[in-house]
Amino acid sequence: MSETTENNGYLLSVEKIHTYIGQFHILEGVSVDVAEGSITVLLGRNGAGKTTTLKTIMGLTPPRDGRVVFDSQEIQGKRAFNIANLGIGYVPENRAIFRALTVMENLKLAERKRGDLDRHADLIFDLFPDLSRLSKLKGNQLSGGQQQMLAVARALVPDNKLLLIDEPSEGLAPILIQQMMEAIRKLKETTTILLVEQNFIMASQLAERYVIIDDGKSVHRGLMSDLVQDQDLIHQYLGASIQAPLSKSEAK
Amino acid sequence: MSHNNKKILYIVIGVLLVAAIIFGLYSYAGQQAFIRTTLSGLTLGSLFFLVAAGLTLIFGLMDVLNFAHGSMFMLGAYAGWQFYTNPTFIFGILPLLLAFATGVMLIPLVKPLLVRLELSEAWQKRLPKLMYFAALVVAVLALINFDILGLAETAMVAATTTSSNPLAELSPQEPLLRFLWRPLLLMLSGALVAVGVSKPGDRTEISAYDPIRKRLILPVVLFVLTIIFTLVRESASEAVLLMDGNLRFGLSILAATLFGLLLGSLIEITMIRPLYVRSFFIVLMTLGLSFVLRELVQVLWDPLAYQMVRPPLFAQPGRATTIAEWLMNGSSTISIAGVTFPTYRLFVILLGLVMFIFVTLLMTRTRLGMIIRAGVQDQQMVEALGINVKRVFTLVFGLGVALAALGGIGAAPFLPVQPMMGDQYQMQGFITVVIGGMGSYVGAFVGAMILGMARAFGDYFALKLQLSPTIAEASTVIIMIVVLLLRPQGLFGKKD
Repeated sequence: MSETTENNGYLLSVEKIHTYIGQFHILEGVSVDVAEGSITVLLGRNGAGKTTTLKTIMGLTPPRDGRVVFDSQEIQGKRAFNIANLGIGYVPENRAIFRALTVMENLKLAERKRGDLDRHADLIFDLFPDLSRLSKLKGNQLSGGQQQMLAVARALVPDNKLLLIDEPSEGLAPILIQQMMEAIRKLKETTTILLVEQNFIMASQLAERYVIIDDGKSVHRGLMSDLVQDQDLIHQYLGASIQAPLSKSEAK
Repeated sequence: MSHNNKKILYIVIGVLLVAAIIFGLYSYAGQQAFIRTTLSGLTLGSLFFLVAAGLTLIFGLMDVLNFAHGSMFMLGAYAGWQFYTNPTFIFGILPLLLAFATGVMLIPLVKPLLVRLELSEAWQKRLPKLMYFAALVVAVLALINFDILGLAETAMVAATTTSSNPLAELSPQEPLLRFLWRPLLLMLSGALVAVGVSKPGDRTEISAYDPIRKRLILPVVLFVLTIIFTLVRESASEAVLLMDGNLRFGLSILAATLFGLLLGSLIEITMIRPLYVRSFFIVLMTLGLSFVLRELVQVLWDPLAYQMVRPPLFAQPGRATTIAEWLMNGSSTISIAGVTFPTYRLFVILLGLVMFIFVTLLMTRTRLGMIIRAGVQDQQMVEALGINVKRVFTLVFGLGVALAALGGIGAAPFLPVQPMMGDQYQMQGFITVVIGGMGSYVGAFVGAMILGMARAFGDYFALKLQLSPTIAEASTVIIMIVVLLLRPQGLFGKKD
């Protein structure tokens, strides 16, 4: 019953979406294209609308206007669980894992088909060896870094074509940032990724393409390799976020 | 002091306090009175738990305060009492309810088609209202000349006369061919509701649906049940009345619980679902619903109090000394450590314990339980994992109501069955939930037992010290206030 839509070879196309939260017009025309098999990163200042963009794609804050095309299907306006079942995994910011559930239950809950976890257990525990050791602990007994690992691992349980990952490095110690980057690199081999990342160093090492969101609008896009050369652009839109890329997370 | 040490300290203080209270009561009241009062407290606590478990799950998951929960308790008692005494009424209206439910459950079939309709915004708003109105008209047409009061009387008569022939009270019903158009029209009425609920023309509701085979299961099952129960409308009552009393009681419990499950699901889908965006309206709606249901019961069975006959297993005069002896003779009382206690109340305690174990297993061992525990914290994330949270809401509401209805039928053989019987239990249920912590089923159990004990010992002291008997009722509120002062989130509640 799906409406097939031409999609120019992109796995995900977000076209001029407008999203309101209550009375507030948060997204005023954001467009993002994500090519299959790539990592694309959303950059921008705090409050620019990066997280809302991910939530809008996921159907958690449905857009009032614009289109979201995933895998040749229009998905704007669908309910979040339907969108997820099309093959999109979501790793929210602030490590929204389920605190009352054990690590194993958190992973089990993410199954869409019986046996999803068994099939991907090797990959998951290979990427995050800590989790198998902690599997009986409750979510609220984990450290911040472990919670973040679990949040990413949870999105790997079912077969996903696309992962939306919101600030994976937030609040992580530098050594954990390295581990997280390794994990995301490895995921890229099998999955397409749309990333939100404040840590510019991490973003520039991981992503091939970027989209800058400013004040609820997507204002610039291109290849990451071009952006790192363009100090003016970085200063104009990212400002402080490049000044102290690692120290912010070290401070925690 | 670290967080964990503090926790341990509180637990130790709590245990010592409880032990001191128990010891104090024991030495003050003496062994006999202590055991008797404790057992009474456990009986009340079991009933409180059955009411509070549903309230706390429903509140924890969907933030809905169900003010009709006491009415569900009351309806459970009526349903069980009817089924046990004379099921003519139940089997008389069952085909109609099933037919209506069949119609409503067409939602997953008609919705995918209806949301794709091209409708102007005005019609999108108007059409559901028109459909609801049409459904009401059709339902009224379906019930014209339906002698529902006559049906209701059958059990009232049976309750007041004792005849040796169990079939003596059966009265002939209208012939099948004249009856047949009622379920048909009600099915149409339900289908009209389904059209309204589906939001025709609302393209934002377009989404991926389960394969058609999966969507057909529920309506087809309900449809087949409708046909079966239309055909056995009269013979089923006879069959039930000829059954062994204990078996019939077991079936009454099952019937009341299933009735609760069905009723709860229907209430959630038709009345609560449209109001999630305005949670205050849900409070008003459920409060109004409780009044409507109470009046409905009064119309059907008069505002009288009925006493359900105790099933044979608990009815023979005499006192058993062991459990085996009770089960053999069906004695009405049993001697526990020298205290004579009604066997039926022992059964109620058992029922409460079994249901606590059931709820615990459901919450900890099943996927549904996992979804509920996760949903209490973050529904959006559960939904983002690909789980249809709305469907879980319906199920949990149905389960909660089923537990309350089970409490109702459990109470029916020793409490008078009357339209207000649920009010007190709803009040105590809310207090239990506050004491135990919103959303915690363990809290509901502990809270219910504390309240049961407070009521029982309150009554004991009121009698012994010649205080006003309201001291027992006040004691539960006092406990609630103390808990709120010391631990505002409740004993087992999580801080937000």
